[in-house]
Amino acid sequence: MTDSAVGGPPGTASPVAALATMPGDQRPAAAGGGNRTGAARRFTAMTGVQLAVIAVAVAIWWYISDVASAGSVPSPARTLSELAALLGTSVLWTAVGQTATTWLIGIAVCAAVGIPGGLLIGASHFATDSTRLTIDFVRNIPPVALVPLGLLLWGPTRSMVLLLVISGTIWPIVIQSIYAARQSEPQLRDVARVFQLGRRWWLTHIFLPGVTPFVMTGLRVAATICLLLTITGELFGGAPGVGTQIQSAQVGNDNPQMYAYVIMAALLGLLVNTLIWIAQRRLLGWHPSFRKRA
Amino acid sequence: MRTRLRWLSVSALELWLPVALLLAWWFASRHSTSAYFPPLRYILDGFRLDWLSANGAHNLRPSLTVLVAGFGLAVIVGVAVGAVLGLNRTVERATRPLLELTRAVPGVALLPVFIVLIGIGTDMKILLVASGAVWPVLLNTTDGVRSTEPLLVDMAVAYGMGRWRRLRSIILPAAAPQIFAGARTALAISVIIMVVSETVGAQGGIGYFLLAAQRSFQITDMWGTIIALGVLGYLLNLLFRLTEAVVLRWHRLYQARLSAPRR
Repeated sequence: MTDSAVGGPPGTASPVAALATMPGDQRPAAAGGGNRTGAARRFTAMTGVQLAVIAVAVAIWWYISDVASAGSVPSPARTLSELAALLGTSVLWTAVGQTATTWLIGIAVCAAVGIPGGLLIGASHFATDSTRLTIDFVRNIPPVALVPLGLLLWGPTRSMVLLLVISGTIWPIVIQSIYAARQSEPQLRDVARVFQLGRRWWLTHIFLPGVTPFVMTGLRVAATICLLLTITGELFGGAPGVGTQIQSAQVGNDNPQMYAYVIMAALLGLLVNTLIWIAQRRLLGWHPSFRKRA
Repeated sequence: MRTRLRWLSVSALELWLPVALLLAWWFASRHSTSAYFPPLRYILDGFRLDWLSANGAHNLRPSLTVLVAGFGLAVIVGVAVGAVLGLNRTVERATRPLLELTRAVPGVALLPVFIVLIGIGTDMKILLVASGAVWPVLLNTTDGVRSTEPLLVDMAVAYGMGRWRRLRSIILPAAAPQIFAGARTALAISVIIMVVSETVGAQGGIGYFLLAAQRSFQITDMWGTIIALGVLGYLLNLLFRLTEAVVLRWHRLYQARLSAPRR
């Protein structure tokens, strides 16, 4: 399975390159504690610049809302006040809860099936070769193709969204897991055998740490796809959630509300990205691509 | 002779499962009377009539236009902006929170916004596809450009290579494997957004046909369209891999040479 779309763990470039990409402005802080105030000052300066960039973007948004044909783009203030009003309603939180639950079920099922499945397939040459063509075909079927089938079987419900979500989310996980099992170093297994380390010890200390970086890359990609597909299923198929709220705000010509829900969707996306980043740092703190950030 | 035998045994190993699955579907559905799971024979007939015909070409054209233009735009913008961010650490850090925020918007969620802003024409669909597909290309380009072997860049500077020349002949080729990996994810996202965008406005296209088939309970047409989408996705991926194999030939050869002495 050399054709993985996502490849190895983050930053598998050469160690030289990894060192070289260490941000120049962090080097003093990394070299020793003595320069902390300088580093801290530079950090706040950068935060200021980052905030300024966002402020400029908001200003552009404001300008567009001013020149756009009446009401088609609400101003940032109008959108934010709408969002603030919605935050006090149960409609918004129900929708967010529904979307988050679907996402969580989707990613959990895919991980529970995809990781062991992929590792087992990858552990055997026969299984890898036999499934290659099938997996390659099935994973290239755009998941949205299944929405009409789900709608016929279950109507606009969570089951329908989950059919779409799982059929699309599982592949990055399966493929990275196959790849991970294939990459697991045979020398390490031999070393473990020479030192007469038990099978269980080998599993927890050598095999699992070895495959985790690859699996995490798959999970990271899958988590984003999972949210995209959850919202797609809601918007396209009408199942309850944030996607449907965006759609019905548009149909009801309520532009501020539509923008407010899009922002809510973005916040969910941001939350997912952050969660994955934290999980990756927890599990892969030892990995070279993360150590440099410490 | 021996290589041919070997090739045959490898293909047999790869082919038995898909063939077995298709046969299983064919025989399991042979006498099916369920409205939702018609016999495979009817589905294949419908597929031939709907998609391997002038009618199919007529339905495919708008979809492929949106897909190719949107994906192309995403790659061009993604590589250009990604290269700027990869080369310039300060700009990258200054814009990172804004980019993270924008990237977090699920592409499809913008469909209603784009309808209000741009309308329901082809332009809107192309822009929607591009806005969703640009992120994997952009992020991977930034990453790839930033992790170019610094020795190579230093040497290019020492030999008096100009900025533009350096980017074109050293940095972008070095980042190419990662750019391709990003573009491949972008292609998959493009297909999803293309199908969803075609459900608004009655201008034909695969997405339109799929939804129309489901709404009018033309179940065999619906299954035929699912198969058509599968074939389209597979062919697109194949085309992509061929392009990648040609463009990145040097990279594969280089990798093979690096790992050769170890064996």
